[in-house]
Amino acid sequence: MDFRTLLLNEFVYLDGGMGTMLRLQPGELPERLNLTEPERVAAVHKAYAEAGSQIVYANTFGANPLKLAGTGVDPAESIKAAIRLAKDAVGDGVCVALDIGPTGQLLPPAGQMTFEAAYESFRVMCKAGEEAGADLIVIETMSDLLETKAAVLAAKETTSLPFMVTMTFTETGRTFTGCPVSAAALTLEGLGASAIGVNCSLGPKEILPLMQEMARWTSLPLIAKSNAGLPDPVTGEYDLSPDAFAALMPAYAECGVQFFGGCCGTTPEFIRAIRSKLEPIHRGKRSCSRPTAVCSGTKTVLLDMPRIIGERINPTGKKRMKQALLDGDFDYLRSEAIAQTEAGADILDVNVGTPGIQESEILPQAVQVILEVTDLPLQLDSSDPAALEAALRIYPGKPIVNSVNGKAESLQTVLPLVKHYGAAIVGLTLDENGIPSSAEARYAIGERILHSAMQLGIPKEDVFLDCLTLTASTGENGPSETLRAVQRVREELGLQTVLGVSNISFGLPNRPLINRNFLCMALANGLTLPIMNPMAEGMTDTVRAYRMLAGFDANCENYIAAYQDAGVSASPQTSNDNLTLADAVIHGLRQDAAILTRDALKAYAPLDVVNEMLIPALDAVGADYESGKVFLPQLIQAATAAQSAFGVIKQQMSEQGGDQANKGRIVIATVQGDVHDIGKNIVRLLLENYGYEVIDLGKDVPPQKIVDAAISNQVQLVGLSALMTTTVGAMEETIKLLRQQYPECKTVVGGAVLTADYAETIGADYYAKDAKATVDYAKTVYEPQ
Amino acid sequence: MNPSDLDRSEILTYLHTPALDADLSAALDVYIARLCDAAQPRSIYRVLPVEHTAEGVILGGLPLLGEDIARHLSGCKEAVLLAATLSASVDALIRRASVTDMTQAVMLDAIAGAAVERVCNDLETEIRTKHPYPYYTARFSAGYGDFPITQQGDLIRMLDAPRRIGLTVTTAQTLLPMKSVTAVIGLSHSPVQDARRFCCGKSCAECPYYNDCPRALRENPECFSV
Repeated sequence: MDFRTLLLNEFVYLDGGMGTMLRLQPGELPERLNLTEPERVAAVHKAYAEAGSQIVYANTFGANPLKLAGTGVDPAESIKAAIRLAKDAVGDGVCVALDIGPTGQLLPPAGQMTFEAAYESFRVMCKAGEEAGADLIVIETMSDLLETKAAVLAAKETTSLPFMVTMTFTETGRTFTGCPVSAAALTLEGLGASAIGVNCSLGPKEILPLMQEMARWTSLPLIAKSNAGLPDPVTGEYDLSPDAFAALMPAYAECGVQFFGGCCGTTPEFIRAIRSKLEPIHRGKRSCSRPTAVCSGTKTVLLDMPRIIGERINPTGKKRMKQALLDGDFDYLRSEAIAQTEAGADILDVNVGTPGIQESEILPQAVQVILEVTDLPLQLDSSDPAALEAALRIYPGKPIVNSVNGKAESLQTVLPLVKHYGAAIVGLTLDENGIPSSAEARYAIGERILHSAMQLGIPKEDVFLDCLTLTASTGENGPSETLRAVQRVREELGLQTVLGVSNISFGLPNRPLINRNFLCMALANGLTLPIMNPMAEGMTDTVRAYRMLAGFDANCENYIAAYQDAGVSASPQTSNDNLTLADAVIHGLRQDAAILTRDALKAYAPLDVVNEMLIPALDAVGADYESGKVFLPQLIQAATAAQSAFGVIKQQMSEQGGDQANKGRIVIATVQGDVHDIGKNIVRLLLENYGYEVIDLGKDVPPQKIVDAAISNQVQLVGLSALMTTTVGAMEETIKLLRQQYPECKTVVGGAVLTADYAETIGADYYAKDAKATVDYAKTVYEPQ
Repeated sequence: MNPSDLDRSEILTYLHTPALDADLSAALDVYIARLCDAAQPRSIYRVLPVEHTAEGVILGGLPLLGEDIARHLSGCKEAVLLAATLSASVDALIRRASVTDMTQAVMLDAIAGAAVERVCNDLETEIRTKHPYPYYTARFSAGYGDFPITQQGDLIRMLDAPRRIGLTVTTAQTLLPMKSVTAVIGLSHSPVQDARRFCCGKSCAECPYYNDCPRALRENPECFSV
């Protein structure tokens, strides 16, 4: 039976639980049975086919190389045996699907498995499945949208088989990793799934609202495969009978579900009951319109009103960002991402193009670190197709690509990427002849871009047009032509419109005034996606006010919420005029510390501020901490206040182009395998306070990478952290490699499982019981008296 | 999860702090609310048969390694295997705070420690109601004593925890999401020693965690000697 033929049916019947039917003994591995007891597995398929299943899932759910590692079962062999035995059992009238489940490990930001490792494991499965003659691929029980995408790309790029995808949600409407139904639907439809839906998770009663939600976000056929209720903790049995389960299916049919089956706890009896319930009825009508939206793996942004695209992550004209990218200082990107999120951005533009860096390497890294700290969908901004593709691969969700333009070469290289990865695209209305001055000519290019995109199968609503803001000072008609083009695109083509707003004021005095006014005019003319600085005074306010005045904010709710008192400030602030910088640090007053540092720098040299004011204050807090007068929270609060003071000093020094005051470089890392980094982050904070330049390699860092960083930076000290007994081995290995390759370097170690004795055993030079002790030891290394 | 569910003194213990000044105390309230808002506590358990052999104890067909867990379950014919997590959203909250404000990150981390404890306590109450037994041991986790943390993966799989509550284990045996717990509780028809009711079968003097033990700091350590 051909899967595409089945798609023409009113309803398609899947199978039920496999594990349930196999009645596994403790420790028994289902994927091994394909090789050792094929008849036991075949009997299950046969029973489902006899009950009326039109697609059966082969017993390959866990046949993933990552999951089978160490079991002695070869994934490809198990898969090939599973597909063949299933085909033999059910005959030609029933489709056999290669069943792909999750790897059981988490990808970033929640976990540490790499996208490439996940992709490779799925690729092995897909290849074996197609070779053995599977009719289609089913990717199911997925929780992480990025892992799902890895499986989908493996299916798409390795085979020519159709694939369907179902994910598992909690009653909150999100998966365990926080993926909402909407984001799953938008992303999977973009990636080219034949059908999507929900499996496992819960019973049919709880899943019904999730299916109704999913139906609103996709035009694809829908799949429902829920559990037979909830399992009993003692017997492991599920609580719904076949009839009780089937009784809920007509409600699914009404919301347009086409594929029906069961998951844990369901048996052939359930499939029989579902069929007899559904055969007399018809599938409900689905709405054909899809909402225009973009998403990350955890958040969907519906483009039903003007939305702000934050422009701050872009090195153009920003010295500090340029330097951060060259130094690999991703914390700067993280803090810009957080600041824009908090300032009201809806989407963040990410551009890392600057001379001296390899964009195709840095853009995906930047995307990953930004998604560690924000839920917002991203706009991937690059003129390098290789960089775009590298970022598109590892982006969980449906991003915007910025940009394509009317040039033939651009259309030919960028649009296929957009189609393959299911993104939305910004088209710039320029071509081989440059930027036309008239609105009509820009509109015409825009139309051409839209046409090319649609020819490739990119949906119209996923094409956004940027009619280009030209600097007002270059000609008095410039702004009005841009606005006219925006208006025509919005009204006549019905597309989303994008503009980089602040270009308008380039070279003119009082730029913020011009920007705010132009933004307001553009919104009134149909601009839906302003690219702007959400922190710039009045900009976000203007968008919020516009939304409210233009009828996008029922009862002014969002407007009021934005301007009500923000609540208790996390950082205490005083208005005491006699406060000194040292007091501000000692009492952990972050904002005061920054203000007082700015004042101090007017009268004193930066180094004097550090040595005469900040360090003595930190020493005082450190002494109080050691004598038990203050405790960890106060110590860290003082350190964060000092950090904000150092931030001001750094800023001033980089503006003046002076040397950074630093006492030496130190490499720190949480060792390979370990993901706990809060202790290491405290150490970093304190070391920076005392004037050391810290090269923080992050967590789960391979031994050789730490050694390489130590050597290339010629540091005198490496700090290592481990929190697990299982990762102390990696710490020992790192120290061993350092001894061999860079013996003059000292090591300091710390972490919950370590003791001074143990540190000595693994060859460390020093065991630091806390962050303060690390600083004290660093002093003995870098400033021996 | 409600802010009032959390034990403030336990949070302070995790912060190694006897008391907070007014500003930090107010900040703690804000962070507790923030954490409760982000947490999506989930837990599961199974009641499994226990078999004692010369080689050690077997739980639901899975041999558990080490003498300490065998001693902890001695006399029990059944035990509960449980897992609880605050979910990935809490990890994300702490990760974000680490970038902007370490004080907040450290405080959230301590609050999360108390919160996951609370989730376990609630689950234990539920278990005691649904599976009444004359006696229960304390929760005992892989990594305590000589019960190796390398069995974390087996325990997770036995509960089908990745699929049922999104709890996974890394190759280094770390639970992810990070604020998570797995544990075994023995169900017994005969009285269990005090030590096994509150902690493990060892005496406090033998315990490698005695100095950091929140219980010993807050309560009378006398209770725990065997």
